[in-house]
Amino acid sequence: MSMINIQDVTFSYTGKRLILKDINLTVEQGEWVAILGHNGSGKSTLAKLLVGLLEPKSGTIAIDGVLLTPDTLYEERKKIGIVFQNPDNQFVGVSVRDDIAFGMENLNVPREEMLEKIQFYAEKVGMSDLLEKEPSTLSGGQKQRVAIAGILAMQTKIMIFDEATSMLDPTSRNELMSYISTLHDEGITIIMITHDMEEALYADRLVVLKEGAIFEDAAKAILLRKPERFREARLDLPMALKIQSGLSKTDEKEKRVRDFLWEFVSAK
Amino acid sequence: MGIRFREVSYHYPQNHLQFHQAIEKISFQVSAKGEFIALVGHTGSGKSTLAQHMNALIFPTEGSVEIFGHSVTRKRNRKIRYNDLRKHVGLVFQFPEYQLFEETVEKDIIFGPLNYKVPLDEAKTIALKTLAQVGLDESYLNRNPFNLSGGEKKRVSIAGILALDPDILVLDEPTSGLDPEGKRVLMDLFQSIQFETDKTIVIITHDMDLVYQYTSRVLVMNQGKLVFDGTPEKLFRTAPLTEYQLSMPETIKVLQAINERLGLSIDIYQKTAEAAIQAIKEAVRQ
Amino acid sequence: MKNIVIGQYVPGDGFLYRLDPRTKLIAVIILMVAVFLLETIIELVVAFGLVILLLIAGKISIVRVAKGLKPLFVLLLFTFFFQILFNKEGTLLVEEILSLNPGNLGLGLLLTVLWRLLARFGKFKTILLFLWIAGIYCLLRYVAIAPQWTTFSLQIHEKGIEMSVFVVIRLLIIISLSTIMTLTTKPTDLTQGLEKLMRPLKVIGIKSDDFALIISISLRYIPTILDEANKIMAAQASRGADFSEGGLKEKIKQVISLLVPMFIIAFKRSEELADAMESRNFVPGKKRTRIHELSFGWKDAVTSVVILLCLAASITLKVIG
Repeated sequence: MSMINIQDVTFSYTGKRLILKDINLTVEQGEWVAILGHNGSGKSTLAKLLVGLLEPKSGTIAIDGVLLTPDTLYEERKKIGIVFQNPDNQFVGVSVRDDIAFGMENLNVPREEMLEKIQFYAEKVGMSDLLEKEPSTLSGGQKQRVAIAGILAMQTKIMIFDEATSMLDPTSRNELMSYISTLHDEGITIIMITHDMEEALYADRLVVLKEGAIFEDAAKAILLRKPERFREARLDLPMALKIQSGLSKTDEKEKRVRDFLWEFVSAK
Repeated sequence: MGIRFREVSYHYPQNHLQFHQAIEKISFQVSAKGEFIALVGHTGSGKSTLAQHMNALIFPTEGSVEIFGHSVTRKRNRKIRYNDLRKHVGLVFQFPEYQLFEETVEKDIIFGPLNYKVPLDEAKTIALKTLAQVGLDESYLNRNPFNLSGGEKKRVSIAGILALDPDILVLDEPTSGLDPEGKRVLMDLFQSIQFETDKTIVIITHDMDLVYQYTSRVLVMNQGKLVFDGTPEKLFRTAPLTEYQLSMPETIKVLQAINERLGLSIDIYQKTAEAAIQAIKEAVRQ
Repeated sequence: MKNIVIGQYVPGDGFLYRLDPRTKLIAVIILMVAVFLLETIIELVVAFGLVILLLIAGKISIVRVAKGLKPLFVLLLFTFFFQILFNKEGTLLVEEILSLNPGNLGLGLLLTVLWRLLARFGKFKTILLFLWIAGIYCLLRYVAIAPQWTTFSLQIHEKGIEMSVFVVIRLLIIISLSTIMTLTTKPTDLTQGLEKLMRPLKVIGIKSDDFALIISISLRYIPTILDEANKIMAAQASRGADFSEGGLKEKIKQVISLLVPMFIIAFKRSEELADAMESRNFVPGKKRTRIHELSFGWKDAVTSVVILLCLAASITLKVIG
């Protein structure tokens, strides 16, 4: 049974213009899927549909085998968490501790259990020394880590990152990516929405959205061999592939470089 | 003329709320014509503080900032109209949301000129001109700024500062949050503005690829100090980038990796993919 | 980085810090009622002495509390003078005839100008203020150059002095009590206490459950919003909006250029925050466990008893006297 099953989903805000059309997507447990697309391709809308913040116009979404409906929403939201783009606009608590506690408070977790979990998950994201800190004293990267801790504490199995690094500086971005990699190693299903190719390369599988529809959906290794598809979707290629596309396939020496560049791009 | 920093330090007032990072003994100068400068550094290195000294939004605690002949020091000088200095040095902040407030794009752009007592008709003509400079057409004049896309908002906010016709344009992370296409469009825009008007452009950025491709001079801030002032290539060849928490441009990274793995000696200092391809072909021929 | 003291809370130790916020809230209210029931200066002085004892027992710096009184200094001064000048009961102690005429009006204006000029250079503002008041008084009293425009009889009665002292001490006690409360209670604990106290109001339809959350979210964003306000002002100043100069029309425009972005950012924030909260299973009005617990201890019980005794004493004094 798939972790996420999206069937024939369409979505519109106004009822006239379709933001998303004919979306069919399944994600298995433990996968790392990158959802790529130009600005306006519908990526963030898809993320919101997955956590039930929006309702599809038609089609169904199932999380861990259960269909997402207004009745099942509360239960299903426990399994899937989302980290948004703006670190400031998702930090609810007056302190790091309070923010990590927020989700658990909503689930009526008993106090002693909350305190234990806060300590545990804060350590996981490297924020255990800063539990008393106020959000105004934290950097963007730190706030995002607190968001991750808060969601993990709800025992989620699926984590969605909606352009979660785009407001961070390169150092924080790399740090966050390594935390996410650790999460993936521990079996959490990762859905990463991004327009940054370098980030997308961390994933096993790439889904490309173009103008509200799925343009490509394939394993990374396969898709990277079709760079024209990326250009058509108005996406940038990773530098290694841009360089590779200009090298000869026949010249022995240039081919060596080509092959190396495959390795370079696939290993992350 | 231009801007000249002389041993400028800024320390936040001890008893007050700290708004800005401290900077130490900064000295350098920026010409009023033709430079395309990148200001880089880790978060908290003092880049924004430095930028806000350039148009007298912040006064130095020590030292002086000479802006187009006027010396800005710790003490407020009643003879200097600091507001006028901001006509010469235009500072565009990172988020257009901090700046856009009018009902139409036109009204928002003319806000600046009107503050400097430019007559209304003239201001409207300027608005049209700067809109074109940022690559937007007349139809945008009557649109609501809040209905625009992220990239369009950025361009309108830039037009709003261009409308003052500053000699030096300082932009704080102008490409952040834009997708790769958007980044390129904006940087090409700056290049063309510079080419046509010969203004000096200073951009604060984290993106080393853009720095390498577009700028001719890099200022590196580290822990409040100015640690490098030179060409991008010199930066990548000689400076301790890891210490400064800076990364190499992608082209250099990739070429370096190729050299290491395949034992080649490709010239890694290439700005674009095309240049890198050529460099590889040459190296392989040996 | 940014350190804004929210409310007046200053971290510290001592039994006042460990009391349940509900105890403190109710105590302040009951004590205020008790103080208002007192009728003589002696009773008030005793009460004031008790407050000082409370500060010492609670290990709270008297200087801190005094600082909390600073903003209200003008109010206290005004009250004091008001009573003295206009209360005409009791025996007459002082009577002076003051007059207003061209002479002292002219000199008065001169004195005022001199005062403002000197005050600009900053250092002795309070002393200068008192010198000015003394100067004006002397002019009105002693300088008489015909024709007299009007005369005024300045009378200070015994009761006037009594009442002004009375009112001022009472104000001091009340302000000190509430300062002690905000000094020793975290804003979030205070709101949680309020929320629990407001539970009974559910009967008449007031939704108290999410009250603490609303307040704590607002508090959490104060530094963020202040920071944004500064950035917006800087962005607009870069376009020539000089927030210190300009006529009324310009000022209005400048204020709009600050407020519109703030509101827009606030709206976007609420939308995004609501999404984040909802995705973390927040349901308005639904019961939630809390990470911070309020627990009533023996200290609270003892304090409550003491407070009630104070009230009883006040009522007794009023009934007897």
